Amino acid sequence: MREMVGLLEEAIGAGKVLASPIDRVAYSFDGTFEQNLPEAVVLPETTAEVAAVVQLAAERGVPIVTRGMASGLAGGAIPTPGSIVLSLIRMNRILEIDRENMTATVEAGVITSDLEAAVAKVGLFYPPDPSSNKQSTIGGNIACNAGGPRCLKYGVTGDYVMGLTVVLADGRVLETGGKAIKNVVGYDLTSLFVGSEGTLGIITTALLRLLAQPRFARTALAEFASLDDAARTVNAILAAGIVPATLEMMDETAIACIEEAMHLGLPLDVEAMLIIETDGSDEEAVVREIEEAAAICAANGARQVKVARDEAERASLWRARRSVSPSLARKAPNKLGEDITVPRSAIPQAVRRVKEISARYGLPVVVFGHAGDGNLHPNILFDRRDAEQWAKVERMVGEIFQVALDLGGTLSGEHGVGTFKQPYVLRALGPVSVDVQWAIKRALDPQNILNPGKVLP
Amino acid sequence: MSEPHVEEVRSLEEEALHCVRCGLCLSVCPAYRNSLNETDSPRARVALVRAVREGILDAPDDAYASAFFRCLLCGACSFVCPSGVAVDRILELTRGELAGRGLLPPVLSELDARIAQYRNISAEENEGRLIWAANLPQPPSGLGKEEAEVAYFVGCVGSFFPRSYKIPQSLVQIFDRLGVDYALLGGTEWCCGYPLFINGEVERARELIEHNVAAVKAMGAKKVVTTCPSCFHFWKHAYPAALGVEELGLEVQHATEFLADLLETGQVPLREIAETVTYHDPCDLGRKSGVFEAPRRILRAIPGLRLIEMAENRQGSHCCGGGGNLESFAPEVSQSISRRRIRQAAEVGAETLVSACQQCERTLSNAARAERLRMKVKDVVEVVLEALG
Repeated sequence: MREMVGLLEEAIGAGKVLASPIDRVAYSFDGTFEQNLPEAVVLPETTAEVAAVVQLAAERGVPIVTRGMASGLAGGAIPTPGSIVLSLIRMNRILEIDRENMTATVEAGVITSDLEAAVAKVGLFYPPDPSSNKQSTIGGNIACNAGGPRCLKYGVTGDYVMGLTVVLADGRVLETGGKAIKNVVGYDLTSLFVGSEGTLGIITTALLRLLAQPRFARTALAEFASLDDAARTVNAILAAGIVPATLEMMDETAIACIEEAMHLGLPLDVEAMLIIETDGSDEEAVVREIEEAAAICAANGARQVKVARDEAERASLWRARRSVSPSLARKAPNKLGEDITVPRSAIPQAVRRVKEISARYGLPVVVFGHAGDGNLHPNILFDRRDAEQWAKVERMVGEIFQVALDLGGTLSGEHGVGTFKQPYVLRALGPVSVDVQWAIKRALDPQNILNPGKVLP
Repeated sequence: MSEPHVEEVRSLEEEALHCVRCGLCLSVCPAYRNSLNETDSPRARVALVRAVREGILDAPDDAYASAFFRCLLCGACSFVCPSGVAVDRILELTRGELAGRGLLPPVLSELDARIAQYRNISAEENEGRLIWAANLPQPPSGLGKEEAEVAYFVGCVGSFFPRSYKIPQSLVQIFDRLGVDYALLGGTEWCCGYPLFINGEVERARELIEHNVAAVKAMGAKKVVTTCPSCFHFWKHAYPAALGVEELGLEVQHATEFLADLLETGQVPLREIAETVTYHDPCDLGRKSGVFEAPRRILRAIPGLRLIEMAENRQGSHCCGGGGNLESFAPEVSQSISRRRIRQAAEVGAETLVSACQQCERTLSNAARAERLRMKVKDVVEVVLEALG
C-alpha cells in the first residue's frame, strides 16, 4: 500500500492523499456504529482525478469505497478491508443553474441544503429533502436514492436526476441523460446508477431537474392519545383526496427525545403526533387543505391540532423533525434505524406489530417516519457493549423486516442496503432478481473493486 | 466548560459513546468547512478519543494531539449536536490529557511558560499593562484608584497589543463621560488563565484565578467588567468552579451588558451614525455565555445606525478564526476561517462589521484586508464612543 500511496500522490497531488493512522480512523465510519480502517483516503477535486485514482486501483485490484459526508444509515460507506476511501466532498461546485430549462448541474460533493438554498434564491425548488440535508451530499443522495418528508407529494431523489457523469470501474468516464425531458435512446443508464451505492460506478456530477418554488405552505401539528388513531388518520387524509407535501408521524419516545434536545414545548403525554404540511401556489387552496386535514385529524381522535402561526414556528417544527434520529442517542448509546416501507393501508398494522416485537424482546423501538408514503423508521435502542442486547437486536431486525415483507412492503425506502440489510436482500428480491443484478454488477465491475461486499448478497 | 446539554456530567468515555456519528456537526464546524477533510471535524475527534480507548489507535502521539489543537473551541458542534454530546468538553478534557502526557505542541507550551513567568501572554513586564492609557487626552479617572464600584479587567490583548489599545481607550472614555466609578488594576491584573485552561493546564490556571479574584476584592469592587469575551466567559463560568464555590461574590459583566443598561435609560444623548452594520457574535460571549442581545440593544439605540444580520448569527455564529489558540498553532488555518467570515459580512451588504471582542476585531480586520474589502471592523465600545460625540 505504501507504493500505492506514492502513486496516488503522484497522480493527484500529495495534499489530496491521506494515510496516517489518525486520518484512517477519521474515515473509518459512517452514520452507523460500524467501523473499519481504510488503507488510505483520497480527496480528488475533479472527474479526471477520480478517473486517475480508479485507474490505479483497477490496475492493482484495490477496492474503492466512495463517500460524501458519510452520514448513511446502512453501512454503505464503511471501508471494506484493504480499501481506499474516495471522498467526493471537495467536488462541491454548483456548475450551472439553468433557469429556462429549470435544471441544475452540480458536482457530487455539493451539500443538499446548499443546493436547495442556491436554487431558492432564483425562485426554483429542489424537492428531495432527506433529514440529513445539511450533512449529506447530492452524490450520496443519488447513490442511495434518498427520500425525505416531501417525497409523498414530490417523489424521491431519483425522480429529479436527468443525467450523470460516472467514472466506471476501469477509469473510463460515462455521460448519461441530458437536458431534453424525453429521452428513450438506449437503456436508461441514469436510473441504473441511482441507488447503486457506489457499487457500479462513481458519480461525479449530476444534472438535476428543478421545479418552481411553491409560494405558500401551511404546517399543522396534530397530537394523538393513541398511536393507532394517528396511523389510521394518515389514510383518512389521503383518502379524502388531499395530497399534503408531507405527512410525518412520530411516536411518544421520538417526541420525548426531541423535546429533551430542543425544548419546543411538545406534549409528553401523547402516543403520537402527525406533522402535516400542504403547499402550492394558490394560497386559498393551501389553507383549505390544511384545514380539511386538521378536521380529519380531529374526527379521528386527535386531542389537539395546531397550525404553525409563522415561518419561524414552521422552521422549528421541521428542525425538530430532522433531529429525531440523532436525538435518540439521549436514550441509549446505540440505535439501529430501520427504513421499512409498507403499502400505506398497512401502516396501523405495521406499527402495531413492530411495537409487539419491542415488547416481546424488552428493548425499546421508536417509530417515526414518512407515514404518508408508508415509509417507517423503527429504531431499536440498545447498548452494543451488552452482548445479550446485541443478540436480541439482530433477531429483532430480522423480524421487523419480515413484518414489512408480510405486509407487501420492503426493506428500505430511502437509506439503501449497505451491509445492514444485505442478509435480507435475497428474501426481499428473490433469486432471479439477485441473479440479474449480479450480472449487471459483473458487467460493469468485473474485478469487484467498487464498494465490494455491499448491497448484493 | 460551556454548559453540557445533559444534566448529569458524563465521563469522557460516556460522552464520546453518545456520538451517533450523524455528521450534523460537520455542517457548522469552521475548521472542517475550511479544509473539507473529515480529520478536522468534531465527529472525527470524538472517534479518535474512542479509537484510543478501544485500542484501534496506539497511545496518543504528536499527530493525534494536533487533531485536538486544530480546533477553535468555538462550541458550534456542541450547540448543534442533537444527541447532546458536549463535544467541547471532550476537547477540553482531551487537551488536558495531552498536556499531562507532555504532548502540548511546542508553540503552545511556550505560550503557557510565558504566562506563568510574566503573568501575561505577551512576555512583557506586567507593570506595563496600562501603557495604552498614556496618550489619552485626559488620564482616565480609574487610573491609580484604589477603591471603586467597578473593576475594569482589561485582559492581555487589550493591554499589550497596540492594535487593540483603542478598545480599553474607548471604554474608559465612555466610563468617564457617563460618570462610572471604576478602577483599573494595572500590574495587579494577571492573565485570566483561559489560555492555560484550554491548553489543558488547569492547575497552572488556578494560581492566576485566585490572584485575580483577591486583587478585585481588595479594591472593594462589587462588579468586574471586561471587554474581552474570553476573560468574561472564564471569569463567569470557570472561576467559581476553580475556587470550589457556588458564587464568586462579585457580579461579572461584559462591557456590552453594562453599557446596554446605561444607554437604554434614554438619559444619554447619542449622536446619529448613518451606517449599515452587521454584528459578529464572538463565540465566548454569544454561544458560550448566552450574551446575544446586549450588543444589539446598544447598536439599535444609536440613531441612524442600521443593523443587518448575517445568515450565521447568534447561536449559529461562525467563529472569527481566532478561537482556541488556533492562531498560535496553525495561523494559516485561522486566517482562512477569518476570511470566510468577513465574506459573509460583505455578502449581506454591511459597510462595517461590529464585534465585541478584541480578538475578533483583529482577525477580521486582517481578513478584510486580505480579501481587499472596504469593510470597516470595529468594537461595540468604539461605536458607542463615536455616538457619544
